[in-house]
Amino acid sequence: MSDFAEPLARLIDELKRLPGIGQKSAQRIAFHLLRDSPEVAKRLAAAIIDAKEKIRLCSLCNNFTERDPCRICSDSARDHSVVCIVETPYNALSVERTHEFRGLYHVLHGALSPLQGIGPEQLKLKNLMERLKNGDVKELIIATNPTVEGEATAIYISKLLKPLGIRVTRIATGVPVGSELEFADEVTMLKAIEGRREL
Amino acid sequence: MPLREGEAIVLRTYRLGEADKIVSLFTRPFGRLRAAAAGAQRARTRYGGTLEPLSYIRVWFYERENRDLVRINSTELVESFFDMQKDYRMQVAAQYVAEVAERFFPERQANDRAFRLLLGVLRAMKRSGELGAPLLYFDYWLLRLEGFLPDLTRCAACGRVLDDGGYYGPASEGLCCADCRTPTTPRAVAASALELAESARGVTPEQWLGTSKPAAVCAAARRFLEDLIEAHAEKKLITRELLDAGV
Repeated sequence: MSDFAEPLARLIDELKRLPGIGQKSAQRIAFHLLRDSPEVAKRLAAAIIDAKEKIRLCSLCNNFTERDPCRICSDSARDHSVVCIVETPYNALSVERTHEFRGLYHVLHGALSPLQGIGPEQLKLKNLMERLKNGDVKELIIATNPTVEGEATAIYISKLLKPLGIRVTRIATGVPVGSELEFADEVTMLKAIEGRREL
Repeated sequence: MPLREGEAIVLRTYRLGEADKIVSLFTRPFGRLRAAAAGAQRARTRYGGTLEPLSYIRVWFYERENRDLVRINSTELVESFFDMQKDYRMQVAAQYVAEVAERFFPERQANDRAFRLLLGVLRAMKRSGELGAPLLYFDYWLLRLEGFLPDLTRCAACGRVLDDGGYYGPASEGLCCADCRTPTTPRAVAASALELAESARGVTPEQWLGTSKPAAVCAAARRFLEDLIEAHAEKKLITRELLDAGV
């Protein structure tokens, strides 16, 4: 039998399903919500429902959006000849925070991961190919994570796009800014050497 | 809480919270372990690329009594298989090896021969760029080391030499000849495939890859051995489906 009253136990169980929330955090959030005024809980519930109902995937880039096409895809001031391919919507946000990239995005919603059963069919590649058909895109920047899964995805996409003759580039990998070389492992250092540039 | 040290192969990792990872390690001195790596998801992680799947590393970790997870203190890369897995086919093959190892090797049981097998097969794949022959070698030796490999030369029922190949089924303990075949042993395996599989006995992966092998015979031998592996794993292997799909 649960230590908590049934509605409270149910709330904790639901909170525990969220990423990064364990039993203790779920209990803390649940008790916080109970202590707070009913309006706070209602606002939170309404915000979750509202987001779930109104947010969908952009038919062009697969990013989360309220309107289709999304704000970025429909912005005529942006460079529509460059598309940056990322694994997740928050990866797009990381690139966007640089304020340097003025092109468009394409979100794959994953990376090739055989052990998780994610193959090419599970990635959002179909509408990428359709996007490239009209010939407006001149460069694709592959910004998948520098992990085994991200690298395999990058190589897979570059092979897929080779026949189209579009320039395909990969974001640089190597030593992070602010770190010391003596702490870099061999793989990271090798990537940094491979990706060196002329000064 | 003593600091322990050993060589290990990273089998797979899972995200834990916002910044950490759970790492499944196959260590040489302690067998398979699950470890927590604090901050491993961060861009400036102290583990760098050492915790990428199939990395051969030296690991230092703390172990607390009554805790399943050990805590990684530091790692050092011995050999990387990162670039090899840039090719999706090789990634699937490498992760097949990891999936089978996770399924077969029990936690906290050192198995030096299995460790050398894993390393040898990964190195063979990396050097040759091939996956069929190294995986056949892996399948054969995995079953042999775990005691699941049946006699590939004689019928398990009557003892007759399997000159014309054999028959087996999902629940069969060994191979049987055409005369002893029953409805429970519907699958056939050719004599050439059995002979090829048996030739992995007593040779290193390097010696094994030194001779060319007909692709069709190699595929038939793997199909048979991987059926056995799946039967003993009592679970469909995710990566095998992708390998069979000819990625």
